[in-house]
Amino acid sequence: MLTTRGWTLREILIVAVLGAVFGILYLAWVQVWLIAQAIFGAVTMDVVMGFWFIVSIIAAAIIRKPGAALLSEVLAALVQVLLGSPAGLLLLVTGLVQGAGAEAVFAATRWKNYRLPVLMLAGVGAAIASFIYTWIRFDYGALAPGLLVTMFVLRCLSGAILGGFAGHFVVEALYKTGVLSGLKIDHERRLQRA
Amino acid sequence: MSAAFSVPEAAPAVAWREVAVRYPYAANLAVGPVSLELRKGERLLLLGPSGCGKSTLLGTITGLVPATIPAEITGEIATLGVPAASRSPAEWSASVAQLFQDADQTLCGMTVGDEVAFALENRALPADEIATRVDRALAKAGVPESWRARRTAALSGGERQLVALAAALAQEAALFIADEPTAHLSPDAAARLHAVIGGEGETFLVVDHRLDGLIGTIDRVAVIGRNGALFAEGSPRDIFRARGEVLAAEGIWRPLAADLDRLLCGIGIVLERPPLVLSEIIDGLNRLSPADRTAAGTVIRHFLSDRIAGPTASTRPSCATLVHAACAPLFAKPVLHDISMEIGPGETVAILGRNGAGKSTLGATLAGLLRLKGGTRTGPAGGFAFQRPETQFTEGSVRAELESIVGKDAASIDAILSAWRLENVADQHPFELSQGQKRRLALATLTADTRWPFLVLDEPTAGLDAAASNEIASRIAKIAADGRAVMVITHDMDFALKTCSRGIVLDGGSIAADAPLIDLLRDGELLASAGLNAPELLLLVDWMEAVPC
Amino acid sequence: MLSMLHPLPKLIVCLVWLAASIAVFDPRFQAGIVVLSALAMIVIERRSPLLILALMIPFALFGFGFLTTATLFREESDFATRMAAETPFGSPAFSAGIVLFLRAIACGMVSAVFVLTTEPGRFIKALMANWHLSPRIGYALFSALHLVPDLASEAQQIRLARAMKRGRVPRRLPGPLETASLVVPLLAFAIRRANRAAIAMEARGLGTVSVRTIVGAPRLRPADASFTIVALALLAVLFILTSGVWRAW
Ligand SMILES: Nc1ncnc2c1ncn2[C@@H]1O[C@H](COP(=O)(O)OP(=O)(O)OP(=O)(O)O)[C@@H](O)[C@H]1O
Ligand SMILES: Nc1ncnc2c1ncn2[C@@H]1O[C@H](COP(=O)(O)OP(=O)(O)OP(=O)(O)O)[C@@H](O)[C@H]1O
Ligand SMILES: [Mg+2]
Ligand SMILES: [Mg+2]
Repeated sequence: MLTTRGWTLREILIVAVLGAVFGILYLAWVQVWLIAQAIFGAVTMDVVMGFWFIVSIIAAAIIRKPGAALLSEVLAALVQVLLGSPAGLLLLVTGLVQGAGAEAVFAATRWKNYRLPVLMLAGVGAAIASFIYTWIRFDYGALAPGLLVTMFVLRCLSGAILGGFAGHFVVEALYKTGVLSGLKIDHERRLQRA
Repeated sequence: MSAAFSVPEAAPAVAWREVAVRYPYAANLAVGPVSLELRKGERLLLLGPSGCGKSTLLGTITGLVPATIPAEITGEIATLGVPAASRSPAEWSASVAQLFQDADQTLCGMTVGDEVAFALENRALPADEIATRVDRALAKAGVPESWRARRTAALSGGERQLVALAAALAQEAALFIADEPTAHLSPDAAARLHAVIGGEGETFLVVDHRLDGLIGTIDRVAVIGRNGALFAEGSPRDIFRARGEVLAAEGIWRPLAADLDRLLCGIGIVLERPPLVLSEIIDGLNRLSPADRTAAGTVIRHFLSDRIAGPTASTRPSCATLVHAACAPLFAKPVLHDISMEIGPGETVAILGRNGAGKSTLGATLAGLLRLKGGTRTGPAGGFAFQRPETQFTEGSVRAELESIVGKDAASIDAILSAWRLENVADQHPFELSQGQKRRLALATLTADTRWPFLVLDEPTAGLDAAASNEIASRIAKIAADGRAVMVITHDMDFALKTCSRGIVLDGGSIAADAPLIDLLRDGELLASAGLNAPELLLLVDWMEAVPC
Repeated sequence: MLSMLHPLPKLIVCLVWLAASIAVFDPRFQAGIVVLSALAMIVIERRSPLLILALMIPFALFGFGFLTTATLFREESDFATRMAAETPFGSPAFSAGIVLFLRAIACGMVSAVFVLTTEPGRFIKALMANWHLSPRIGYALFSALHLVPDLASEAQQIRLARAMKRGRVPRRLPGPLETASLVVPLLAFAIRRANRAAIAMEARGLGTVSVRTIVGAPRLRPADASFTIVALALLAVLFILTSGVWRAW
């Protein structure tokens, strides 16, 4: 049962509630970003961006099945739209792109490896995907190459740290609360330890 | 998929053969090995001390354990003649209705109407049939029509349990399983539930700690011991007399009558038919010779003095006072108006009232946890044991939970653990405990904390077995003797009588009575209008007063 | 009453309004949307004007960042200018920051109209009945939608429990540090709730089979058509009035 590819109802429900909680947190994070931007200026968005990838990393690390990263990120976007994000429906596309970026990294490990480096890489994956997306959307071609490189590096770092590393931290904390018992993450950890 | 199953007629409703369950990576078995049969049309009561694995065993009937709640199972389970694992838990819902110990496990957070219809919708029954079945179930459970559009998340603890009952009844399944269905129900609602179980036809499997009122409807009792193995089964009358000593040692509830019968047997007064209710004992006593009656009287006086709290005189100044207070649940409109009361040092007060009367709201307000919507509150904050014990847990293990109160002193932690029989689960996560263990842990942390000038215990006995119930009763007495105060919110009139000297009855959004508890419980008119029942024990008190001996 | 309407046409109308408020970069248009949705809540739904004002606070806070960059620093944040450049119906005469500020409120209010007048249960039922949403996904979404309002009361319960252990009553509003410390417990609560809901739903027969009766699914009525027409017409009028198209005639 623990090794099935199909999703159990419990797993579907967990991804749904994770999406809901992070939808709210993402909205709050927009506020943090805007304030920081007022103080630090242009590249702030790239610095704080990583947090908006975190749910895909957490969901993937918990559920450990194909699609978890993508689904949770899209759901979080949906919740934000329903709660009234000023970015509106475009947010769904953003969610889709970011989720796909993280999912691609997990797919590359054939959904088998969820150690910290992979989680951080998934954050970078989401960062790259979102960079391509914003490039097209905001016509980055017009920017100076030096600035572009800075932005890209900052965003990848942010994805690795605010997405991957912080996601790992949250997963560890959640694991300690015992709510993940019986899920694939629990099973694999106990096997490792044994 | 509903009626398509053909069931071999002779097969038992459920048969466990050498079943043992172990939760993932746990050192000990959660239950077993158990071999037991539930026959068709039978009403079986499963008894056992808290934590012995009753809920786990019930979970195996429809395969929820291990399909949704991961565990390793050995042995064979046949439900309605076929292996339990041959169908998914969802497929079993057409023939098995399950009322979980925790109402939140039965309810999905919809409106009351949707919640009750949910199982029927999943079986794709026609809409008009669903409507009639929902109406029938709501009426049977006593859920008022006006609740239909309310969300289950905004109901009181007992109201939720009532809706869960209606949702399970609506399934109209051949096999009805109820895990502590009355733990949060007020006496009138509990009586309705007992009437349902007493009804003809279906097969019932019930686990409960509160036996009075239930035991008369039961055909057979099976008892699981602390070690998780089945050690007795038989008719209720035989079990309680023949195995009374063992049951007491295991900390298992027995009906009051069985308890008294044991004492009377000890002095040689043996009623011909083992009694289940006190009225049977009184009938028997009335037929005794005067000499025997005197002897019995002595025993009974002792029996009563253990079970009725003596009066306490409160000394001023009071611990906490409410004046013209309007009390409201979290994020809701006030449900209690113009409440004026105070609680003084050394007092023990029982708060009584029907489900949804506002007891929890009053308790949390008095403890200083909820803000008033009007009026004033004076006095320091008090400790509050939440009705849902999980609300209290903030740490990662049972031991850490205690350490957060007592400090790292290993000796005193071990003392608490063994007093509450939690030593075997000390390193388990608080959320992976059985319901009774959760309640014990919550009470243990609260009573170990000596900072509180007064404590409010919300339904402390829900889910507790006899041993733990005695433990909390003696702690309450000790706290009161220390000059602190305790408020007990409870539906268990016998427990109230045992621990409290003063009583407050809530009804209609305000305090209907505030007087010595024993006086309140003898006021039939008040009890009837507030949805309460007199405790069975009062029959005996009345008998003692009427028959001088 | 907006809450009596079929959720799906209402959803589509709200999405069109949202799309319009993103496509039109004009403070008058945004302000018009805010006023219209507030009026709808006050007049049709009979919500108190105070509540509506209170509702606008988080959205206003949300938009505040745009405003501060625009006014305090006398320059537009690059995000704001980029957004301005992106929209088809932009009017360069106005500060992009102010438009974005109003747009945040406008989008927020339109969503609020939908969310506050739509019961999640009805919404999910409509999705399952009309758009063939799978029941398992449907009820997962349903749980997620119900979780959002319940998080606040759970957060409060956690704060109460902690305050009790420390022996004093919690402050009325949590500070930033306390808020951060609530994240993991709230996530744990959400997952625990998902675990329980999974048990509750499976025990009552929510399986993989998608044939099921839907009791009380909303039905389309003439009122839905009138609502859709009126709402879209209002939007068109607002656009014509604010964009100055009418002057061309
Ligand atoms: N999810 C779980 N994970 C690990 N252990 C568990 C889990 N649930 C219960 N247990 C343990 O299994 C044992 C049996 O629990 P169970 O809930 O079946 O007891 P119970 O007889 O129903 O008790 P109670 O009367 O208190 O409800 C307990 O020791 C408990 O700590
Ligand atoms: N979160 C809530 N939102 C709205 N109403 C609520 C909420 N919680 C409780 N209520 C209502 O407030 C009233 C009092 O609830 P309270 O929990 O105090 O009852 P109670 O006396 O403790 O009942 P019980 O014996 O069932 O635990 C009930 O009618 C209940 O429906
Ligand atoms: Mg149990
Ligand atoms: Mg209560």
